[in-house]
Amino acid sequence: MRSVIESFSAVAGDSVGYARRWKEETGRPVIGSFPMNFPVELVHAAGALPVIIQEVDEPITDGEAAVFSFYCGYNRSVVDQALKGRFKFFDGIMFADHCVQLLGTADVLRWHDPGSRILFNQLVASMDATWAVDEARNSLGQLKRELEDLLGTIITDAALHESIALFNHNRQLIRRLYTLREEGRLTLSARDLQHVVKSSMVMDREDHTRLLAELVAACEAAPAPDLRGMPVYLSGHLCQAPQLTLLDLVESTGAVVVGDDLYHGFRYISTDVPETGDPLDALAFWYFERNRKVPCPTRADGDADWDDFLVREVTRTGAEGLIVLVAKFCEPHMYYFPEIVEACERAGIALLKLETEHDGMPLEAFKTRIETFVEVSRRRKHAAALG
Amino acid sequence: MPEHTSMSAKVRELPPRRANRLSSTRLGSAIVNDYWADLFSAKEQGKKVVWYNGTYIPPFFHAHDVAWVHGEAWSAYLAARHVEGDAQMAGESRGYDRELCSYARTHIGQALLDMKDLKDGKLDPQSPKAIAISQLPLPDMIINAYPYCSSGQQWDEMIYRLFDKRVPIFHVNIPLLWGGRKDAAYLAGSEMDERKTYVAHQLREMAKFLSENTGRPYEWDRLSEVMGYIKKSAELRLEAMDMCTATPSPASFFDWIVTIAHVNFMPGTQRLVDFFEAMKAEIAARVVAGEGAVPDEKYRFFFDGMMNWNKIGWLAEKFAANNACVVAGRYTHMSFWQEPQAIDLADPVPGMAHNYLACPNNSGAPYMIGEIDRLCDKFKIDGMVMHVSRTCRGMTNSQHLIAESARKHGRTALFFEGDVADESFYKDELLNTRLEAMIESLDSRRSVMA
Ligand code: SF4
Ligand code: SF4
Repeated sequence: MRSVIESFSAVAGDSVGYARRWKEETGRPVIGSFPMNFPVELVHAAGALPVIIQEVDEPITDGEAAVFSFYCGYNRSVVDQALKGRFKFFDGIMFADHCVQLLGTADVLRWHDPGSRILFNQLVASMDATWAVDEARNSLGQLKRELEDLLGTIITDAALHESIALFNHNRQLIRRLYTLREEGRLTLSARDLQHVVKSSMVMDREDHTRLLAELVAACEAAPAPDLRGMPVYLSGHLCQAPQLTLLDLVESTGAVVVGDDLYHGFRYISTDVPETGDPLDALAFWYFERNRKVPCPTRADGDADWDDFLVREVTRTGAEGLIVLVAKFCEPHMYYFPEIVEACERAGIALLKLETEHDGMPLEAFKTRIETFVEVSRRRKHAAALG
Repeated sequence: MPEHTSMSAKVRELPPRRANRLSSTRLGSAIVNDYWADLFSAKEQGKKVVWYNGTYIPPFFHAHDVAWVHGEAWSAYLAARHVEGDAQMAGESRGYDRELCSYARTHIGQALLDMKDLKDGKLDPQSPKAIAISQLPLPDMIINAYPYCSSGQQWDEMIYRLFDKRVPIFHVNIPLLWGGRKDAAYLAGSEMDERKTYVAHQLREMAKFLSENTGRPYEWDRLSEVMGYIKKSAELRLEAMDMCTATPSPASFFDWIVTIAHVNFMPGTQRLVDFFEAMKAEIAARVVAGEGAVPDEKYRFFFDGMMNWNKIGWLAEKFAANNACVVAGRYTHMSFWQEPQAIDLADPVPGMAHNYLACPNNSGAPYMIGEIDRLCDKFKIDGMVMHVSRTCRGMTNSQHLIAESARKHGRTALFFEGDVADESFYKDELLNTRLEAMIESLDSRRSVMA
């Protein structure tokens, strides 16, 4: 079990290095993409490796003069990596999501490397418009055509069906780990689980799925861990992985993570793509279904509310508190945050907000706040039990 | 000796009034005042009210006799009267972070205040702030049509939720013209063609939404009529802007900025046409007389970024006192009805879609910056004044690239921090120092060339 986690951790910790080596070894192309909804199955079906571009921990240096300090850490880190030349080996970058900061980043990348192919087709963000499904399908069709042109290949329906099935299987296996976690039977920490999901955004999916199957089998067979502490639900971080030290801090300060909606977590693997019918229709369906399953504040959908979702999830997973990780300067999250606070107040759910930053976090202060959060919740529970 | 000839490169503090503002813009104030007065009495007039954000869609409302509140304009209205503080505090106390778009924070804060006041039945009638704030009619419909900026879109989703989803909402998506296809060009190519069809379709659906929520059929002929006035006004405005290639420039960015409301959301009527006619005539007369917006124009600047609404007068005087005329800007010269020729009055919707897509931010950076450089050449710009509007990423996104391109074209550039509606981000000292440095570098460059 540990050796699989170590493999995943190695890929997650150096996604660019892994992808470069993969390209050298296979001679096949690599396509980078930004979060959040780019259908990477298309890239796989074209014979290339899809890689979701990650924030890295290193300090922002070259990027300092190209992106303002009041942008989220993900954007600043991506610009910095690009200016350091780290993405030059990508055969292209494709994306489809609408966050204003991300659009700015893509332009900075294109500007500084005019020879690069960076392609964008905006997925409809008003999910309940009557024309939304058709429009999403159009955008996906356009992405497919542009990808075919970029790679000089044709993506057949059969290949796309195969890729969809593979990716579904991969997601299902990860979801199995989530179920085990909810049942208190998972021996993996929040850190480990992040390695699993993050590496699935990067690694050759056949290899990843094979190792993942081994991991799931080992987890199923392992005895239930002796988990003690306050069960909490982790929410937030729409594009970047929370720093591992922060996850460790949560789990070493009297809390046990029982569920999450992190992008590097359940949000990413929440939804499968239908395996029959027209594959572009299926991907369009996935796009809408994903937002219904785990609502995203960057989409406008009158019927999908992130706050209601969180209240339901906290209740369903038996969490006794919600820890919200807000990446500093993430506007979609900042907009929605008051809704979440009010929904939790109405539902009597204890909430702790931690604002995370790229350039160093006040971990000591976080530790004290998590401890206090756990302690107050424990006392409240105790008082409630006494009647 | 005129003051400017003995002037050192030092930036002067507390300048005497030197900006020679156009007098015709005063006519425009009456149009704006009447608009607000009319809006404040919309409910008494039995009109439905739509709150909207984003691009300049009011002709659709005007043609359907619906009153409209532009969220950004309302925030700017409060900021320009320095009464935005209460609304922003209300937003903050609900947990809206101060790093969020301050237009949105002010507007959402406003909505909160209104609701609270309504609920509590208490308004201090003596307070001018409360008076301004309490006048805004609450929405019967919400429409969002924001190009480029995701915050713009989300803003109305939050308003929708603040009203407990009871007010019907409609979104018009105006997708970015990224320009990645082989046939891409500024406002042309297959991407533009497809997006235009898409936006036009949504605009027709929006008219249906208006019709459904008012119980009246949409009158397309009236839209053509309203657009006739808008098109004429836009043409006059662009012709007048073109005259500012003259040296000294007869009008400045600050004259254009105080008439943004007119081109952005004032009703399309003969009165609007007359206003731009008068502005054009005054500018033409100044060209003949050699009269400048800055009497002793020595430097010509381009203002990039969203306007710092609570600093208009202050900035106008600051630049004028340094004999610098801010001649043009991204917000004023690229953002509103820039392409009137695209509008066919017999069927105005596709041309309106074309104009909405032409929002400069909505074109990928290479295309937008190409246009900025072209404008700077046309207006003989020496330097760029980059207003880094802290909470408006829609405008700050490409600013490093704009400055880089300007430098390649032989122009200088300065950055200063401020914001659209949150005064606390503005740093006067920083602007003074950087303006001083920019003027010094222009002077030394000129002396080398001489
Ligand atoms: S959604 Fe938030 S985290 Fe993601 S790129 Fe935008 S601002 Fe950054
Ligand atoms: S951030 Fe700027 S562009 Fe976006 S909604 Fe606010 S004012 Fe508009």
